Amino acid sequence: MAILKVENLYKVYEDGTQALKDVSFEVEEGEFLVVIGLSGSGKSTLLRCINRLVTPTSGHIWFNGVDITRIHGKRLRETRREIAMIFQQFNLVKRSKVITNVISGRLGYMNPLWSLTGYVPPKVREDAMQALRQVGMPEKYNNRADALSGGQQQRVGIARALMQNPKLILADEPVASLDPVLAHSILDYLEKLNKERGLTVICSLHYLDLVQRYATRVIGLRQGEVVYRGSREDIQRITDKEFRQIYGEEAQRLGGGGILGEVSTIEGATTHE
Amino acid sequence: MNELEQKSSSSNQQSSPTQVIIPPLAGGVLSIIPGLGQLVTRHIWRGILISFLIISIYGLSLWRLDETDVAFELFPPSIELTDLSRPQEEAVTYALLAMFFATIAYIWNIYDGYACARGKSSPPRLGIVFILLGTLTIGGHITEINLGKAIREIDDIGPRLSQILWPWNPDKILEYDLETTEGVAYFLASDSASVACAFGPVEQPTVEEGEPYLVIEPDCGQPSGQFTPSGMRAEGTKIKVQGFNFIPNEPAELVVKPESVPAFRPRVNAEVITAIPDENGNFELEFNMPNFTIPAEAVGPVQVEIIMRQSQKVGAPYLVEEFWLALEGIVVTLFLALMATAAGLVLAVPMSFLAARNLMSTNAITYSIYYVVRLVMNVVRSIEPIIWALIAIIWVGPGPFAGVIALTVHTIAALGKLYSESIENIDNGPIEAIQATGANRLQTIIYAVVPQVIPPFVSFTIYRWDINVRMSTIIGAVGGGGIGVVLIQWIRLADYDSVGIAVWMIAIVVTILDYASSRIREAYV
Repeated sequence: MAILKVENLYKVYEDGTQALKDVSFEVEEGEFLVVIGLSGSGKSTLLRCINRLVTPTSGHIWFNGVDITRIHGKRLRETRREIAMIFQQFNLVKRSKVITNVISGRLGYMNPLWSLTGYVPPKVREDAMQALRQVGMPEKYNNRADALSGGQQQRVGIARALMQNPKLILADEPVASLDPVLAHSILDYLEKLNKERGLTVICSLHYLDLVQRYATRVIGLRQGEVVYRGSREDIQRITDKEFRQIYGEEAQRLGGGGILGEVSTIEGATTHE
Repeated sequence: MNELEQKSSSSNQQSSPTQVIIPPLAGGVLSIIPGLGQLVTRHIWRGILISFLIISIYGLSLWRLDETDVAFELFPPSIELTDLSRPQEEAVTYALLAMFFATIAYIWNIYDGYACARGKSSPPRLGIVFILLGTLTIGGHITEINLGKAIREIDDIGPRLSQILWPWNPDKILEYDLETTEGVAYFLASDSASVACAFGPVEQPTVEEGEPYLVIEPDCGQPSGQFTPSGMRAEGTKIKVQGFNFIPNEPAELVVKPESVPAFRPRVNAEVITAIPDENGNFELEFNMPNFTIPAEAVGPVQVEIIMRQSQKVGAPYLVEEFWLALEGIVVTLFLALMATAAGLVLAVPMSFLAARNLMSTNAITYSIYYVVRLVMNVVRSIEPIIWALIAIIWVGPGPFAGVIALTVHTIAALGKLYSESIENIDNGPIEAIQATGANRLQTIIYAVVPQVIPPFVSFTIYRWDINVRMSTIIGAVGGGGIGVVLIQWIRLADYDSVGIAVWMIAIVVTILDYASSRIREAYV
């Protein structure tokens, strides 16, 4: 059964930028879907539409049978807590402690008034320590988040996501700010969650070797439109033609399974388009 | 000439369609009314500015000249007017000079009108220079800038300044209890010595063994008369005073205490009259009975106490009353600033969240709240605390409470603005991340916004306390309580030693606060 179904999704920003154009796809439960495309192709917008950080202009997104483009307030928050998100810039609260950052993943389940007093139920604290153990850094719980390295911060980001007990994880270029070795370790965590817990993952990525290594299915976006759909096997033997369709005519392939990200001339631009 | 015509005709041909084409000479002629030529040829702002500035300089110069005429009529020149006439002479100089510059600018303006009509307007450098010279010349006169006076009278500030900068002179800052020893004798005084003596002799006070006492000769007579315009007066009865049993070698002051008026110390050549007893404690002194008023309704003579008084410093020195007043003042000021900062903080925090664009741009309602709050804060902030103090004094009367109200109002607006700007500058990423977990608005603010804004909030709040301490001294001067109240009194009384004490206390407190606030900021940011 499809856990997520995106139908004819359009997004036009207030400044007139057409970020998404007639995007439709389905995601089965337990899939590791990778979204590829240049910076500015609409990857981030697509992911942010799914948890409604961005409100789509038109179209439908069905999550577990609920059209989340139509819900507000409490129901939206209840839906959001089932969809965790991991960010390129980690988006930890830098001045807060690691454990506080992890606990914040559970906020959707907690009484909002508790946050005024700073009260955290012991059960939640214990769960947060457990989540930190899963990402292999329980000893850092009392450090400030900005005292951690990039890879460690992203692991805290994953621990925060785990606290939501999510059914779906959205990962917006989770490794673009990390070096290749760390990139593999972070994606290994996601793959482990995907395989062992059956969590569905939608992840945008830049590096073709990473896409080939982790994706069970791939869609390619170009200027807000889906220009490529491929299975795991398809992506292993992606042709230059398909590749150019996604990344533009000026793109060159760097050897076999080279790094896609390096070919795009506008790489390094931020992903909040 | 030929070349000039060619140029002008060619420029006419080249000029753009929006340019109004009039004959160049007409442009110059029109500019006889300053700026008109420029206006007609569509150099709107240049025309408006030229006409406004040149007419202003002429107008101001004529106003200053007019003032001098009025002054000369009020004070006819027959009387020596050294100080009064100087500004008037200066007015003529300044006004004529300003008008001279304005005239050059005016001539340039005619040329510029001509040039504009030719479609060849150049940068108005020459005009700017002379308009500026004219403005500064007349401005210097209007603000009564007088460097000569500043230099001539520089000696006047020296002593005052040294009093303010170093008020800690032991003679001035320390006081002692005085123990007085007195010898007293009675004297009968009347406007006529014969009347007074008709009532005598006077019974002198009884003296115990070993106490100082006085013997006077005579014991009746008349006080001195008033000075006549010629500088003469009738001297009072000459009195010989003999003192016994006084403390040896310790000066004794003469005090006269008539029944009819308060006691006073008569002076001869501006010095009080003193006598120094010999080693046995005895002295002899002669003086004329000084002038004092005998009431018209007095029946018979007035009894006068003639007192010789010795004073000795006893006990430990203590600080003058002004010191304690200043200390009380600075304590009030500190707490005034503290209360205003605390109240301002409590009220500014919720305001700042309402005035932060990034938190309030969700929908039209929140955005309009944002706009209104922002507008109110801007208006309140633009009104100086001293104005708020005057309003608060009308409301709750003079005193520290009025000062607290005034500073609180201003603090809310100022801190609200600084806080809301630091909220707007925070990293949006964590907010997005917390929202994505399903947290509501309150949770998002507490988990994602508050941790990010604590360092700037702490920093701004302490900075504000710093400002409030300094400002509350000024608030005090208009009646808002604290050290400013006594400071402004002492300034008006020309009591510069006490002013110095107050200034020192303010300086010490501000310095300590400044240091402390920088340390706290370092710890938090």
